[in-house]
Amino acid sequence: MLSRRQLLAASPTTLPLFLALSACKGPAVLSGPPPVTDQTTMLLHAVTTEQNLIWIYNKAAVTYSSLAPVLDPLLAEHRAHLAQLRGRVIVPPSTRVPGAVTAKPAMGATKAAALAQLRTAEQAAIATLMSRLGGASPSLAQLYASIAASEATHVTALTSEIGS
Amino acid sequence: MGANTSIAAMQAALAAEHAAVYGYGVTGAMLTGSAKSLAYADWRAHEIARDTLAAMIVKLGATPVAASAAYTLPFTVTGASSARRLAVVLEEGVTRAYLGLVAVNDSTLRTFAARAMQAPATRAAAWRGSTVAFPGMPSTTGR
Repeated sequence: MLSRRQLLAASPTTLPLFLALSACKGPAVLSGPPPVTDQTTMLLHAVTTEQNLIWIYNKAAVTYSSLAPVLDPLLAEHRAHLAQLRGRVIVPPSTRVPGAVTAKPAMGATKAAALAQLRTAEQAAIATLMSRLGGASPSLAQLYASIAASEATHVTALTSEIGS
Repeated sequence: MGANTSIAAMQAALAAEHAAVYGYGVTGAMLTGSAKSLAYADWRAHEIARDTLAAMIVKLGATPVAASAAYTLPFTVTGASSARRLAVVLEEGVTRAYLGLVAVNDSTLRTFAARAMQAPATRAAAWRGSTVAFPGMPSTTGR
């Protein structure tokens, strides 16, 4: 056993060697934030998709106010979807949760065209959610599946309105 | 989650389909006209889904759960209004069961279940006359 005097005398030269041999790396101070996982990336895309859907519903409702009784309940459900999706997002502080709409298509020239456009947007959103199921955690997969089922009911509601 | 969990979730979905097939017998008996035709079409859809699930379970080496001889209805069905309400309850039960199957780790089963729950969710909306935000989820999720 080394005495305290011997240890202090030897420490400037031997301590680094001792630490290297003992595989002690010391604290990882100021390391970067953890990378965003694939699952989180997919979730952020789902958030963006919902925001885009909400934008196009708002645009349709403003352009064709007579469609409000049909569109308002569906729009409210999309807002609920967005709230649930955003509630699941946990990202490092440096990562921004998307808040912007990334697609702003021109609205259809007639009510029927606008409804068909909404239906196409819903169908695309369903396909996107379904493609994300495999990489999601069980609870997130259930949320995606439930939202996709909700959007499938929207497709039927919009189809019915187009035919009326 | 392993194969046993997957089979258990499939059996739960099959049990829900059995209940729906039985329940639509009651529902259809109380309806007339186009509503009766709709109930018949939905009843057939559940028979097909039941047979599909049973075949999948057999393929995995398990014995599909059998239908019960009779089921206790959640309320007394006395006319068209309660028959429609029963149809909603049946479809919601099937939707919920498929959502349970979505939680398994097998991605093929997951996709199957997610696709399968869209039809009962849509039928529930048709009988209810309105859509919900989160089909199959507990109502606290913001329906």
